[in-house]
Parts: sequence; C-alpha cells; structure tokens
Amino acid sequence: MDRRWLITFATTFLLWSALVQINHYLAPHGAYLFAGGLLVAFAPLRLGLRNGLIATLLIGLAVDALEPVPFGTHLVLFAAMHVILFHLRTRFPREEPIFGVVVALLANLALFLGLSFVLLGGHPASGVAWARLFVDLLWSQLFIVVVAPWFIAFQERALELGRVDLVEESRVTF
Amino acid sequence: MPSKRFDRARPFIALGAVVLAWILLPVVVKSFLQVSFFELQAPIQTTASYARDLQEYWAERTHSKNDLIEAGRELRHVYAGYEFQAQQTEALRAEISRLEQLLRLPSNPHYRYEPARVARRDFSGWWQQLVIRKGADFGIPAGAPVIYAGGVVGRVREVHAYTAVVDLVTSPSVRLAANIEEDSRPVSYQGGLNPALRPARGIVEYVPPDFFASAKNPKRLVTSGLGGVFPPGLTIGYITQLDASTDGLFKSGEVSLDPRLSELAEVTVLVPLQSE
Repeated sequence: MDRRWLITFATTFLLWSALVQINHYLAPHGAYLFAGGLLVAFAPLRLGLRNGLIATLLIGLAVDALEPVPFGTHLVLFAAMHVILFHLRTRFPREEPIFGVVVALLANLALFLGLSFVLLGGHPASGVAWARLFVDLLWSQLFIVVVAPWFIAFQERALELGRVDLVEESRVTF
Repeated sequence: MPSKRFDRARPFIALGAVVLAWILLPVVVKSFLQVSFFELQAPIQTTASYARDLQEYWAERTHSKNDLIEAGRELRHVYAGYEFQAQQTEALRAEISRLEQLLRLPSNPHYRYEPARVARRDFSGWWQQLVIRKGADFGIPAGAPVIYAGGVVGRVREVHAYTAVVDLVTSPSVRLAANIEEDSRPVSYQGGLNPALRPARGIVEYVPPDFFASAKNPKRLVTSGLGGVFPPGLTIGYITQLDASTDGLFKSGEVSLDPRLSELAEVTVLVPLQSE
C-alpha cells in the first residue's frame, strides 16, 4: 500500500470527521459548513496524479456514504475538481500556503454551486433555499480561510513524517 | 509533440476513465461500497455521541443535593399526573377495542416504542437528517415513523448495523398527508423552508378555502394517518399563514415548526407490530 495516498486520505478523513462534529453543534443555530474545496485542494497541488486521485476518490466516497445524495455525486465532483486543479497547477506557485488557501476557496465555491444546482431541482421553496445556501457559503469560506493554513501545514508535516519527499512528488506527472 | 499533448490530456483521460468505470460499476458493488464507507464512519459518530453523554453526565454531577431534591419533587408531581392519564388512556383503548369488535372495524396499527439517542445532526439548506444510535440491532425497519415529545420528527430512511438515518420533517424530501385539527379533510405538508440562523418552517398545500390562519390565530396541523406510516393526531406544527393558491381552488401557506426539533438529543422510533 502506498504511503502517499494513504497519509493524504487519513489526514483529509480526519478533517472530514471533525467537520461532521462541528456541523452537529451548529445545527441548532441554523448554520452549516461545507468544506469540499479544502478536502480536495491539497492532493492535486502537491501529489502525482495517481496517488492524489486515489486519495480524492476515497474521500469522495466517505462523504457520499454519509450524505443523502445519489451515491457517487461527491466522488465525481471531487474527481473533476482534482483533475482541473492538477491540469492548472504548473502555472502557479503551488507550494505557497497562501496559494493553497486561494485554491481551496475557489474550489469550495465551485463545488458548493455545483452541488446546489444538482440538489435544488424541484425544491418547494428555492428562493428561501438559495438565501440559506448563500449564508452557509459565507460561513464555509470563512471557515476555510481560518483552517486552511493549518490543514495544509498539517498534511505537509504528516507526509514528511511518512518520509514522503514532497519536492520529488510534485515533479511526478502520473 | 504528440507525446507532450498526450501528457497534458492525461488527467482528463484519467477522469473519463473514473467516470466511465463508475457508471459501469454494478449496483451491488456500489451498495457494498456505500455500506462499507458508512459503517467505517459509524464508530466515530457513535463514540462522539457517547462522549457528549459522558460530558452531560459529569455536568449534571455538579448539581447540589438541594437541586436534586427539588427536581425529584417536581418529577413526583409530573409522574402523578401521567399516572392518571395512563389510566384514562387504558380505559379509552379498551373502549376502542370494544367498538372495533362491535362494528367489525379493522384495528389501528400498533407500535413498539423504541427510544434512541441522537448521534449526529446534519441540517443544511440541501437536506435535514439525523443519525440515531439504534439500527438493525434493535429491529428498526426503514420507513418507520420517528416522534418526540413535541410531535413528529421524521421517518427512518436507512438502517445500518447499529445506527439509522432519519429524514427530518423539515427536509424538502419529506411529504406527509395531514389534517387541520378537528377537521377530517386531508391537506399536504412538505418541509423545506430552512432559513439561516432561524427555526425551520414547512409548507402546507391543498387547504380548503374556508380555513383561515395567521400568526395570532394559528391552526394545529396533525398527521392524518393516511398512508399508514404515522398514527393519526400527532402534531406536525402550527399553520401561521394561509393564502389563496394560484389555481384559486385551495389555499397554501407556512407551517411553524417546534424550535426543539433542531436541538433533539433523544427521539422515539415507532416500530410497527405485526397484527395478529
């Protein structure tokens, strides 16, 4: 078993589990955090395509298993986002943490809107639903701004502890 | 040159392969993956829930003995009231049973009450669901109604080894046949009004035009018993607004739901009993 996707998946899964608990406590206040962009941002920027995509697909399956969406929705959305980010990564300073935060924010925005368009078809009150989603998106983006620098550093450190050379890894194309 | 072009296209080819493989994957494998990934995460959810229970226990241990004596006294008063009501309920049940036999009516479905702790709340603008700490291990079936002290909570959607997922009555995917209190004509209830930072509301449709309701004069909306899932007479919410619908034949409006729905820690699953 390859350490690279395993460590990346384990750290991302930890964030996902923490997010589930945070949302449990936010539920009585009518707020919800979505951080799909943060779950998917690190792997395409820093790992090779195969290892990164495996980690992304696994986290997509983990999210799909808990949420009431057609099974595979997050898997396909996350995989598409992963491939787009991987394709664009050579054009930007991808090792910079601040760039990681910006990518996570943009990816989150795109995934949130994509998911909303998929799930809001036939909603009985789409106006109220979009207003709620807009506020949730604001909270989610704020959450990512606060958490992303720590999470990216955490993933880097975890991979270093697993003796993964990230400089070498970022040169791998497949 | 073609090799470089292929390198650039490689991620998209990989994505195409993943999507194609997912589409072609047999449903059995997908179901197996879904169940496996859910059960993988179930211990995390239930452990967090037990940790919260422990936290609550230690918080309650800090109460003084005087507080406990006072609470015990209040409980005795409440218990006495409930004991009297239980006797009345028993007498009414016997009367219903006698009338059913006399008139040869089919008897109402009977339920076993299964209390369950809430392990996880998941309320977003897209969906509203709960995960409870009882599942197939306590014989909970999919589709079973879930209630609490204030009325209807929702319906069990998925049953797992020792957890179950409940679609909340505030979820846009939940539709119920309902009655306005003291009227037998059926109306339709649907969840889905979940504004940010405020309690959820529902939508009521196909209300006969002779009904009027406002925030000052709300009407209680109860389950009708039609469809056989929920027993009749359980509170869904209060209709606080009614306007003529576009067709002019009926009215539609908003239902105010109990704010306690968003803070639930314990619910009761009604497990249907096999009729004799």
